[in-house]
Amino acid sequence: MSLENFGVSITVDGDEVAVSVRGEIDPATAPAFGAALESAAAQGGHSVALMLSDLTSIDTIGLDIVATTAQRLSSEGRALVIRSAPPPILRTLTIAGISTEVLLGDDDSGARRLGPEQPTGTPRSRVTVRAPKAAHYVRQVMAIPADADVVDGSLRLVVALARATIGGADGVSVSLRRHGRLATVAATDRTISAMDAGQYATGEGPCVAAAAAGRWFHVADLGAEVRWPAFTPAARALGIRSILSSPLLSRDIPVGALNIYSRTADAFASVDQELAALFAAQTSLILGDAGVVVSDAQLAERLQEAMRGRQTIALAQGVIMEREGVDEMGAYTVLRTCSQQASQPLRSWAREVVESAARQGRGDPVRSSL
Amino acid sequence: MLTHGELFLRYFELGGMASALEIEAFCLGALRPDAHDHEVLAHALNERFVELGGNHPVAYSHDDDPPDA
Repeated sequence: MSLENFGVSITVDGDEVAVSVRGEIDPATAPAFGAALESAAAQGGHSVALMLSDLTSIDTIGLDIVATTAQRLSSEGRALVIRSAPPPILRTLTIAGISTEVLLGDDDSGARRLGPEQPTGTPRSRVTVRAPKAAHYVRQVMAIPADADVVDGSLRLVVALARATIGGADGVSVSLRRHGRLATVAATDRTISAMDAGQYATGEGPCVAAAAAGRWFHVADLGAEVRWPAFTPAARALGIRSILSSPLLSRDIPVGALNIYSRTADAFASVDQELAALFAAQTSLILGDAGVVVSDAQLAERLQEAMRGRQTIALAQGVIMEREGVDEMGAYTVLRTCSQQASQPLRSWAREVVESAARQGRGDPVRSSL
Repeated sequence: MLTHGELFLRYFELGGMASALEIEAFCLGALRPDAHDHEVLAHALNERFVELGGNHPVAYSHDDDPPDA
């Protein structure tokens, strides 16, 4: 989907190389974006301009590419200039710690060569890179291998980082649907776990709603909240005043929620909301990579496949036991050794044995290879 | 990545008789598999390594110390 709308082009104008990006920068399009930026940087010139007027979204991989390129150009005494970034994109860059300072046209060395979509006088931003804070954090999370065994550990890291990074956050938790029920997989403290548990018990609340609907729910002030009457009194009793629950998706299926709680009303500014969305998106990537959601149909299919394989191997063992006069274990070793020597899966070797037996002995692969 | 669940399925497919919990215990060193379980588990792991371009790095029970009776 993102690939269809994505486009990137490079134009050289005097001492400046301009890279125009259209659509979304996400895991699918980031490699093309990175390659274009690298190629633009390799062309020399004083600056590389990123023309972002048609960019609709940028994820952490894209932010990383921008930050790395800006850093590299800066170390070479050159500059990465961001032009025409729509306000949400500019905010995302700011949140990611890529600090921007607005430069008026005449101060900018590239200003005289602005494209037509950038009328004179419109503020532009110049990237002056320092350590990209949030991008750095989410990169740490991304660097964790996507093995289900370490998913819980990654999620604990996510809640700790989100708690430290998101302004106004007094506690953070991750709820995931496991065995058909929501459960808190990681939480920064017991009050937060209790908040989640209160929602599971009553079957309502922003966390439950976000996990079910796959969209975010924001409670600016619990004192004025009317949507979840069974849940809110307990939350207020625990001193919580505002909640932000963002959905977690695994392969586009809602599987849980990233919940941020605060003891202050109206705690989450729009910057915090966007940062929460960034964390939720990153967490969703981890969950998707780890294959956290496996449908019942997929599991049933995998089990049937394993059963068929097991049956074939047992049949092949029977054939070898009869032919070689060995016991069950000995037959297994014969199969395993042949599979190992041929670097062929044991199951496909077993299938050949069974098929050869069915053909009454001609072209027996076991005998020929022993 | 090979999860304990997927390793169990592969082991089961190869004819293993131990439970998923026992497999996890073998992996963590909490239980010691008998010779046959070791053989099947080693092969399940090795088939995964072969898929990844390796060459049977996990020792079979006959390759190291002889199994205890």
